[in-house]
Amino acid sequence: MAQIFRPRADAFARVLLAAVLVLPLALIGFVYVIHTTPYTTGEGFVVNQPVPFSHLHHVGEDGIDCRYCHTSVEQGRFAGMPTTHVCMTCHSQLWTNAAMLAPVRQSLAEDKPIRWNRVYKLPDYVYFDHSVHVKNGIGCSSCHGRIDEMPLTRQAAPLTMRWCIACHRHPERALRPPDQVFSMTWTPPKDQLAEGRKLLAAYLIHKDHLTDCSVCHR
Amino acid sequence: MTASRRDALKLLAAAVATAAAGCSAPPEELVPYVDMPEGLVPGEPRYYATALPLGGWARGVLGKTVDGRPIKVEGNPRHPASLGATDVFMQAAIMDLYDPARSQTVENAGQVATWPAFRAALAGRLATPGTRIALLTGRLTSPTARRQIKALTARYPTLAWHVHEAAEDAAAAAGAAMAFGQPARVVPRLGDAAVVLTLDADPLGPGPMQVLHGRGFSRERTARRNDGRFVRLYAVESTPTLTGASADHRLALTPAAIGDFARLVAERLGAISPPALRGRSSRPGEATASRVNGTPSSQAEPPAPAYPPPQPSPARGQGVVAAPGPGDWERFAAAVASDLMRAKGHALVLAGPTQPPEIHALAHRMNGQLQAPVEVYADPLAGEGAADLASLVAAMRAGTVDALVILDANPVYDAPADLGFAAALRRVPLVVHAGPYRDETGAAASWHLPLSHAFESWSDLLAPDGTASIVQPLIRPLHDSRGLHEILAMLGGAEEPKGYDLVRATWQARHPGPGFEDWWRKALHDGVVADTRFPAIASDAKQSGATGAAPAGPGLLRRAAPRNDGETTLVFLPDHSAWDGRFAANPWLQECPRPMTTEVWGNALGLGPDDARRLGLDSGDVVTITVAARTLTAPVCIQEGHAPGVASLTLGYGRTQAGPIGTGLGVSAYTLRTSGAPWAPAGVTIAKAQGRAALLATQHQFKLDAETRDILPTIGLAEVVGSTVTPKGAPGPSLYPAVAYDGYAWAMVIDTTRCIGCNACIVACQSENNVPVVGPDEIAVGRDMHWLRIDAYRDATSRAPGPGFQPVPCMHCEKAPCEPVCPVEASVHDSEGLNVQVYNRCIGTRFCEANCPYKVRRFNFFGYADGQEYADLGADLVKAAHNPDVTVRARGVMEKCTYCVQRISRARRTAEKENRSIREGEVVTACQAACPTEAIVFGDRNAASDPVSRLATEPHHYALLAELDTRPRTTYLKRVRNPNPALEGEG
Repeated sequence: MAQIFRPRADAFARVLLAAVLVLPLALIGFVYVIHTTPYTTGEGFVVNQPVPFSHLHHVGEDGIDCRYCHTSVEQGRFAGMPTTHVCMTCHSQLWTNAAMLAPVRQSLAEDKPIRWNRVYKLPDYVYFDHSVHVKNGIGCSSCHGRIDEMPLTRQAAPLTMRWCIACHRHPERALRPPDQVFSMTWTPPKDQLAEGRKLLAAYLIHKDHLTDCSVCHR
Repeated sequence: MTASRRDALKLLAAAVATAAAGCSAPPEELVPYVDMPEGLVPGEPRYYATALPLGGWARGVLGKTVDGRPIKVEGNPRHPASLGATDVFMQAAIMDLYDPARSQTVENAGQVATWPAFRAALAGRLATPGTRIALLTGRLTSPTARRQIKALTARYPTLAWHVHEAAEDAAAAAGAAMAFGQPARVVPRLGDAAVVLTLDADPLGPGPMQVLHGRGFSRERTARRNDGRFVRLYAVESTPTLTGASADHRLALTPAAIGDFARLVAERLGAISPPALRGRSSRPGEATASRVNGTPSSQAEPPAPAYPPPQPSPARGQGVVAAPGPGDWERFAAAVASDLMRAKGHALVLAGPTQPPEIHALAHRMNGQLQAPVEVYADPLAGEGAADLASLVAAMRAGTVDALVILDANPVYDAPADLGFAAALRRVPLVVHAGPYRDETGAAASWHLPLSHAFESWSDLLAPDGTASIVQPLIRPLHDSRGLHEILAMLGGAEEPKGYDLVRATWQARHPGPGFEDWWRKALHDGVVADTRFPAIASDAKQSGATGAAPAGPGLLRRAAPRNDGETTLVFLPDHSAWDGRFAANPWLQECPRPMTTEVWGNALGLGPDDARRLGLDSGDVVTITVAARTLTAPVCIQEGHAPGVASLTLGYGRTQAGPIGTGLGVSAYTLRTSGAPWAPAGVTIAKAQGRAALLATQHQFKLDAETRDILPTIGLAEVVGSTVTPKGAPGPSLYPAVAYDGYAWAMVIDTTRCIGCNACIVACQSENNVPVVGPDEIAVGRDMHWLRIDAYRDATSRAPGPGFQPVPCMHCEKAPCEPVCPVEASVHDSEGLNVQVYNRCIGTRFCEANCPYKVRRFNFFGYADGQEYADLGADLVKAAHNPDVTVRARGVMEKCTYCVQRISRARRTAEKENRSIREGEVVTACQAACPTEAIVFGDRNAASDPVSRLATEPHHYALLAELDTRPRTTYLKRVRNPNPALEGEG
């Protein structure tokens, strides 16, 4: 009677047994890693827009303040997207015939809004408020990066809960004086931790509460 | 269709591909305005002052809109019928607005039609000279509507205007006219009263003045007020009402006996001459016929043969039921009368709809003698030529109505049965119905027009004291509907009238001149028009009306003592949820438990336990009710508090055309109602019929041994006032580590003395927190979702007359039993003491619910808000009602009261932006904001001056199930009663 298993079958069995142990772990590890990679978080990705709007040009070169277009950033949850009328305050005078701006002119003519594609997206169960961050010393560039250097807008942060909570645990690392909030060039000074602690007191920030679930989820 | 193996594989592949593609989040768009309205902040709420009608009367509201969507109703503090609070119907208005069952298009004979087609058809008919037009409306207080109708009457001399309001108390109007010699409106000021006697009146029950009266009453019902005032309420009533539940003494009598009681008290007060006795008193039905104008014709009436036997003996017949003996009754009346006299200037007598006009007039007379705190206004709405429904039906029967226009009324459903409205309607060639729903009347009409919701249209309304409000829209009409004024203008021949112009024109005529624009903007902003109260009747007229010639006549003869001849009286009541039927399609209201019975999704015949025993009935048994040869089959719900020989049935059910929500629920009381005895027909027979019906209730009634005394203690006023503050004992030992709360420590105190059980908080919570409706089938298996419930306890040992109400939200225990049992830490504490539920962590073990001693956690057994909605509630339109600040919970997730964490967060963010702490009173929870009686107080326990800290040191402050030492943040004040020492020991 011939042998059912050839000698190599032993090796197969060993590999298989090892795989049974290793593969699930590897799979979990893979999922864990993939969740934090830009592929999933969208960090660094550029999203196509109806008008290839350049922050590099408008902020970096022209020096327009953030709040000129994002009007409600100091009052509400949403920073606010510029209305067609805001675009047209300048573009009724400048680049009036640029092909790139055709959707803006069309929006005005037809009274239909421009539909931008969202770049920064938080899940629906997260309640984020721009105004309270901006009014308490968190600068635009802390989350949005050097937007004045972006020809096309991309997501500059992973927007994972780990990333949010890192700052909520140690806000003193990111706090700026009020006059530096809208600055694109602010970098933490050498004594940021000491400065940050002073600002923490000045802004009346209770660190305990910042890591409560109810701060962002309700 | 048969699928081959190949098809199945294809489908499988497609499913896998779809699932894989679904892994990445769908792209989202940002859509800014082309031109943004001035001052708008995207995503931030804006409030607009407007008003909502109930039975034609306004209750002022502030409508909260977010990005143009109305999502919540708050009270308007400037409005006299709101005072910043709301009732349950106001809270539910948001659901009405987004109801997918609302009528959306013009219909002609069941076919979709257009507005121009309607105008053409109407113009053709109205152009014919001599066309006899009838207009039927509900009660219209709107100055613009009344101006328009006046103009229409001028244009079409043949036009007749009729008014029908099902829940109207016609006897009250007749009684006021008798007392004051002219049509008058009487608004009692409960806030100035020290002693109140109600004669089957329910000022704290549902109605346009519930908030007003609730606030006035509760302000006078604060134990340990500095001036020591605490109103005493005597309720003499036939059925259990919210007023009776809050009373200090309650006497349950049949409506006829209540009339006798009123006369007895009036005699004691000297308001009428000494007793003229007779065997039987008049019934409400007879009373209108026996009205006598001042001439003492009672002398002609033969005196009663004799006093009836002191205590009716059961041997006299099967139907005789024990009633209070003459001794009790006399003693009660004497005590009430002397208490009223003692409080002269602050004593008040109120009569209710079951009472005939004479008793209303007598109440006004007593009030006159007692110098009662009542506002008496000459009623300018009377004398505008509106006829009643009966005359319309007579004309319809006679064939003298060529065209009938029914505006926002549903007479096919709610007309008294004896009129035969539906049959008479068939004799009218052209019937136009305008209403928010294609209801029973809409289905019977040749034309149906969709009417805009109050939140979609311009109008104006009057508060019960005459104060006018401009009704401004919060949103453009969702459907192809028109407002009331626009339809009225179309009747006058206008093409596309604008409600805004029509309402403005009314007010411009009253305020001519260049300052109108400023005046208009201020009126819109405030939500009330200054100085528009009804003219008060001059005090001499009031005096003469009240103390002049004594009302007399057979109606004022009384029997010596109440007794029951085995006759049953059926009392109709407006429903706490459906009112007169107009809210039957509202799922929030349908699922809102009725006070005391916690019944939902239907109605039943209320019957006292003694009568039920006599008839051999149990709750859920089906009976046949016969009133003057009309019969109705209804289930029975046994409820304490009915007078012997009295059964009750609420209006508003048995609808046949109320959309997927309201159709087919309960039984229609209107089939038993007659125009002669609209509120309390006597001579009713109740017979057991075949079968049983399932009564749906969110809780079932059962007896507790003695726990009620601990759960909802009732104490006398003297025990509280005289008490020195008792320091609370130190908390017991705990296995869990101590946590210091040194920031804010949120806490709630609920005053059970003030709670009148009106349910406004329940629906306010539902609206604020996106709490889904589960539907009757789920209720039947014991599932409901309300984050806040109101428990009713009747303590047999405390001798409190009615049940006590206890709103129960989450207790936010500092040592919360739900937390250690959660395997995934979905139930956790935050640093300010809130017990929060993290929906994303929750895996639905329900251990927390099992371990919660207060039973305040609610589980999504199905996707009640997330794909498995009840009936038509899954429609996209309903989603627009959601509060964007609160997560919509998915299936398999536990949820519960959060102390409105989104409101705390909003207050915190506002404070942090202004670089300050949250101010005292800045966080107002939804239930607290809605509460008409200010029974719910919320605040920071760590702030010594905060009301919650102050109330926590009161002697009558207690924690629910304190022996468990869960250290709840929600605590209570005991129920304080102010009994008359002369009557101590009686109900």
